[in-house]
Amino acid sequence: MSASAASPVVRRAPRGGARAAWTYAVLGVALAGVCASALLVGPGDLGDAPLREVFLELRAARLAGALMAGGALAVSGVLVQGLFRNPLASPSILGTTAGASLGGQGVLLAHGALASAGALRWLAPQMVLPLGCLVGALGSLAILLAFVRRGADLLALLLTGFALTSLFLSVGSFLTTLAQEHHELGRAVVSFTLGGVGGVGWPHVRLALPLLGFGLVAGFLWGRPLDLLLSGDEEAATLGVDVARTRRWAIVWVGVLTAAAVALGGNIAFVGLVVPHALRPFVGAEHRRLIPAAFLAGAAFLAGCDVLARLVPTRTEVPLGVVTGLIGAPLFLVLLLRSRREERDG
Amino acid sequence: MAEGLVATRVTVERGRREVLRAVGFEAAHGEVSCVLGPNGAGKSTLLRALAGLLSFRGEVTLDGTPLSRLDARERARRLAFVPQRSALTASLSVRTVVSQGRYAHTGGLGRPGAADRRAVVSALSRTDVAELAHRRFDRLSAGEQRRVLLARALATEAPVILLDEPTAALDVRHALELHALLRALADDGYCVVVVLHELDAARRFTDRATLLRDGEVVTAGPSAEVVQPGPVREVYGVELLEDAALGFRLGGAS
Repeated sequence: MSASAASPVVRRAPRGGARAAWTYAVLGVALAGVCASALLVGPGDLGDAPLREVFLELRAARLAGALMAGGALAVSGVLVQGLFRNPLASPSILGTTAGASLGGQGVLLAHGALASAGALRWLAPQMVLPLGCLVGALGSLAILLAFVRRGADLLALLLTGFALTSLFLSVGSFLTTLAQEHHELGRAVVSFTLGGVGGVGWPHVRLALPLLGFGLVAGFLWGRPLDLLLSGDEEAATLGVDVARTRRWAIVWVGVLTAAAVALGGNIAFVGLVVPHALRPFVGAEHRRLIPAAFLAGAAFLAGCDVLARLVPTRTEVPLGVVTGLIGAPLFLVLLLRSRREERDG
Repeated sequence: MAEGLVATRVTVERGRREVLRAVGFEAAHGEVSCVLGPNGAGKSTLLRALAGLLSFRGEVTLDGTPLSRLDARERARRLAFVPQRSALTASLSVRTVVSQGRYAHTGGLGRPGAADRRAVVSALSRTDVAELAHRRFDRLSAGEQRRVLLARALATEAPVILLDEPTAALDVRHALELHALLRALADDGYCVVVVLHELDAARRFTDRATLLRDGEVVTAGPSAEVVQPGPVREVYGVELLEDAALGFRLGGAS
């Protein structure tokens, strides 16, 4: 250590930046490939000129929904993992996606009840779905934080998330049962609950887009205080971060992004858990690097899973959540083993 | 005494127990002040109260301004805190960690300017971690991490620096260099406050000492007067042997 004044001899080092740039390039290529596949693969003959535009229009809306939902889930995973300083946190494990899903089911049911009573017939259910998902996501995060104070250990966090998920899924199942009394309403609620982007149209995309845009931009702009929170609340506070305010707003963005994703694709697991975990070795933990990379990777991952779901030769389409689980769970276990090994080897 | 950090009748409670009782403390600019005491005496608690990290009764003023009147960023521009160890386990580079010291100046949205980059480079260099700038913080040894945390504190350019047992994980050379650096900072007008366990280091390298026991001040004053056989016997229950300890100074091949 030098007691004298400093000499400005520190080189800028390109290693981390170059690796991140390569990662962005690979993600860009992967995303382009997935988008092309999503437009070209699926039921319907694109050689049939009169129908080509219709098929492409439907596939483009579905692709947009998958890209947005995947990107939103991955970014909300980044935020929630930074917020809890825990790479095992994710909106699905903490009960946020189940809360958003329950909010959506509740809104569909309430809308159905009002419509059958002659009110709100002019309002389409998909117009209020994002709002219900938002209320559900924020409510679940508020309950989680009420139970899990800062500094709580990983086990308490995961068990609380598990309990909340179970609770929300149970209440959601009850709501689904109630909805079966009306055929159309029952179909709508079941379809939403099963998840998937097969039914996404441009109106859904337009309604979810403001939520997604707001959550993405806000999360990116607040990246620096979120980076400081990675050192814990006390260190962040001594460096000038208003910890309570930063946490409060970060929770809002996690809720907003999860709501956008659930409104588009339903309850989809593993994207928010696996994608940030997989990217950190390549782009580091800085939020302003990780968030754009997570958006690209999450979008490519979910759109790719949706293409795979279409390719499985079954009479009805495989639910998207099944594909993300089948790919995401083993992938997560591999990443977990690798990071454990790295920790052990120093 | 020049104005600096002044605590008046600071009481901290943990549950129903008072871990600090009506503690008074003064640290001036241009001096290295230390807090001494056996384990559980309340040294780190006092330091965290001075840093505004704990709620307490009483008052702490920073150059005459009550700490409670400063918002988070203003306080961080005027007072830096180096913890015993960081809770950071994420894969951030050393340079990024040190750059976090500039947050109070740039805010969340501001872009770091030339002054910020100069402060970071200076801090890296003064703490001898410039060579580590591109390594991952979580892959460093405990001693290297301590130096990086000090660099982050220096990057804030806050004129008051609090350090919790800063030499605990350092080898003898880096410990001596750290003491030399703290002296240089004090000579530059900084107000430096350290929690120390080593009584010999307290007497050799600090100007003023406050000796705590069971959350209360036993004695305070110039370090050479506080670290004396009487107070040491009373607080630690051991005899202080003059010139019995091994002594080291910087020099020789590095």
